Amino acid sequence: MKKAILYINQFFGQIGGEEKADIAPEIREGLVGPAMELQKRLGEDVEVTHTVICGDNYMGSNTDGAIETILGYLEDKDFDIFFAGPAFRAGRYGSACGHIGKAVKEKFDVPVISSMNEENPGVEMFHEHIYIFKGGASAAAMRKDIKKMANFGKKILNGEVLLSAEEEGYYGRGIRRQVWLEPPVTAADRVIDMLLKKVRGEKFQTELPIPEQDMVPIAEPIKDLSKANIAIVTSGGIVPVDNPDRIQSASATRWGKYNISGLDRLESGVYKTIHAGFDPAAANADPNVIVPLDVMRAYEKEGKIGKVHDYFYSTVGTGTTQGEAARMGKEIVEHLKETNVDGVILVST
Amino acid sequence: MKLELGNFYVKDIVFGDETSYSNGVLTVNKEEALDVVKEDEHITEADLFIVKPGHNVRLVPVKEAIEPRTRVEGGPVFPGVTGDLMQSGNGRTLALKDCSVLVVGKHWGGFQDGLIDMSGEGAKYTYYSQLKNIVLVADTDEEFEKREQQKKNRALRWAGMRLAEYIGSCVKDLEPEKVETFELEPVTKRSKEENDLPSVVLVLQPQSQMEELGYNDLIYGWDTNRMLPTFMHPNEVLDGAIISGSFMPCSSKWATYDFQNFPVIRKLYEEHGKTLNFLGIIMSNLNVALEQKERAALFVAQMAKSLGADSAIVAEEGYGNPDADFIACIAALEDAGVKTIGLTNECTGRDGKSQPLVTLDPKADAIVSCGDVSQLIELPPMETVLGELESLGRDGLSGGWEGDEILGPSVREDGSIIMENNSMFCGDQVVGWSPKTMKEF
Repeated sequence: MKKAILYINQFFGQIGGEEKADIAPEIREGLVGPAMELQKRLGEDVEVTHTVICGDNYMGSNTDGAIETILGYLEDKDFDIFFAGPAFRAGRYGSACGHIGKAVKEKFDVPVISSMNEENPGVEMFHEHIYIFKGGASAAAMRKDIKKMANFGKKILNGEVLLSAEEEGYYGRGIRRQVWLEPPVTAADRVIDMLLKKVRGEKFQTELPIPEQDMVPIAEPIKDLSKANIAIVTSGGIVPVDNPDRIQSASATRWGKYNISGLDRLESGVYKTIHAGFDPAAANADPNVIVPLDVMRAYEKEGKIGKVHDYFYSTVGTGTTQGEAARMGKEIVEHLKETNVDGVILVST
Repeated sequence: MKLELGNFYVKDIVFGDETSYSNGVLTVNKEEALDVVKEDEHITEADLFIVKPGHNVRLVPVKEAIEPRTRVEGGPVFPGVTGDLMQSGNGRTLALKDCSVLVVGKHWGGFQDGLIDMSGEGAKYTYYSQLKNIVLVADTDEEFEKREQQKKNRALRWAGMRLAEYIGSCVKDLEPEKVETFELEPVTKRSKEENDLPSVVLVLQPQSQMEELGYNDLIYGWDTNRMLPTFMHPNEVLDGAIISGSFMPCSSKWATYDFQNFPVIRKLYEEHGKTLNFLGIIMSNLNVALEQKERAALFVAQMAKSLGADSAIVAEEGYGNPDADFIACIAALEDAGVKTIGLTNECTGRDGKSQPLVTLDPKADAIVSCGDVSQLIELPPMETVLGELESLGRDGLSGGWEGDEILGPSVREDGSIIMENNSMFCGDQVVGWSPKTMKEF
């Protein structure tokens, strides 16, 4: 018998509406609210053993704490799959399902399945982390949405072949993989078919959709470098050896800033790289190859630049999603602006 | 230009007294064939094997695949490579179908070499598991590159071509079982019916990135690194004007056999006069420097425009850096008003989340995708290995590794393997065979 656990909010947990949205997480044995429908759809081979309930506002304002509490509840539970929602178009609920789903996926490495309407902001935030099925706008779609979640869950638990996101009906997780077309159609046939459609002005479907480009224009040159305050920002993972901000070695979501105001260079053994995407030997032997503080100080002495900014900023680029990278970039920019930085040397690896 | 390909459909291959073909059975005199291989004094050891679909055989490191052929009117199968220069694509060439000569290193492999499983789960990853193969397993005295990751494999590749010509020559005086005719009127001399159909050029970007000579695809014996895009007749490609190089990660590579049988060219011929007007081939290239890439794209777009092409198909032999040539070429063609389709494979990384091509452009809005070089493949041990299994991990094959902190070594003690699709021999079949596509999960 496989075991499942479901996460729902205070409303569907039958505790109350908006006035109860602040309640802290709790876990109950057995089925509450939508868990009954989920159990029905999962059938006899899968048992929904527990229902986790948390207030949407509580999850929103105490995210880390709520996640920690819930992960604690799950620690001693034996489960093969985790469900969250369906959250329909409810933004806070969708976001909560995403937060807890992602955390459960990372900690317990079990499949996590949710469902949200396309307008739910939780989709954009979490579609790369968990399976989110395309769901209805309101609770009227409850049965339909739960059916989709349950069917896919059963497919996973039975070890069946999983089809693409589009065929299964969930939002793509940004994972592209090769598949054998069934029935087989050779690339030569496909290319001629696409060519004729394109030439005739008919509708065609590319096999490699080009993501929307988010181009940033190149900045104006700095007029007088000798007065400029220059910062170093890197995705090369250089941090103090104890990695105080616990920046991840891949798929980073955190960044750090480190004071270098009294330093002439970054010493090996004091700084290192935690980047998992390249051979770290050279960077660990001389961290200045990624954060070039030594040469920047030389420029500073020569008067070529005004000064080196008191902090350098670091995260890890490998596997980091564009979304997370953009968020971290915006956060770092805020700091740079506050401290009147004129220019940035952005070191990639 | 009119090419007749006279086909003999090989149903079985055996060793015997006389190299000959009769009723679907190809007989190979092993000794005589090995003498042809050893005409090059750099070949130090050589043996031949017959390997057929369903055999429990794993081949690695595979360096080349060639279709055995001969020219009725005489001359080398590969002009400028295995003999004097002559025009290819005219006259009658005889081919032994459904079989290939495979060249396998006895010990040493490299970045560009690949793996073939003739049966089991691994067979689906390469076209060559479906063919009856005459397998040359040999070693050379090319000490300078023995432990180099990039190998020219010159002695072995040329031995393979000699062998394919030797075997092909056994049908020289026989009447083929089927004759396929490939003929296109000159571009300005076509019928109204043909001219009224949408016209298309095929733009090929064969592997040509290596500045040092000896690694790239050759066209009439000329290194493709030293050429600018040029206009070619499709018959030339089908008839031995171009041979495969020894540089590209293997699943992206186009073997000489692939060029000889190019499915996209055959398909364009099939459609010519029915749904489209096949103008011919713009033979482009792949480059290292940005300026070279842009220059090639300019040449291609101009030629397509001057030829009056309504549309183009661009196919690249490679991934990574060559994606820049591929996308630049598509963008230049689209800018010139030529409706363009791209044909390529992708590299999305271990987690499948990396950008699929190194560069992207919204103008590349129609792409056929043939596979993912970074897909991990785990295969059980195989009864027989021809070549040396160790080479997969030891010699820097593009899809193998000695050790990995998570995955362990590519080659395990029990003979099972874990590798990237990267090293499946010509596995992504961008020439047009690929039954694979890419989907989002």
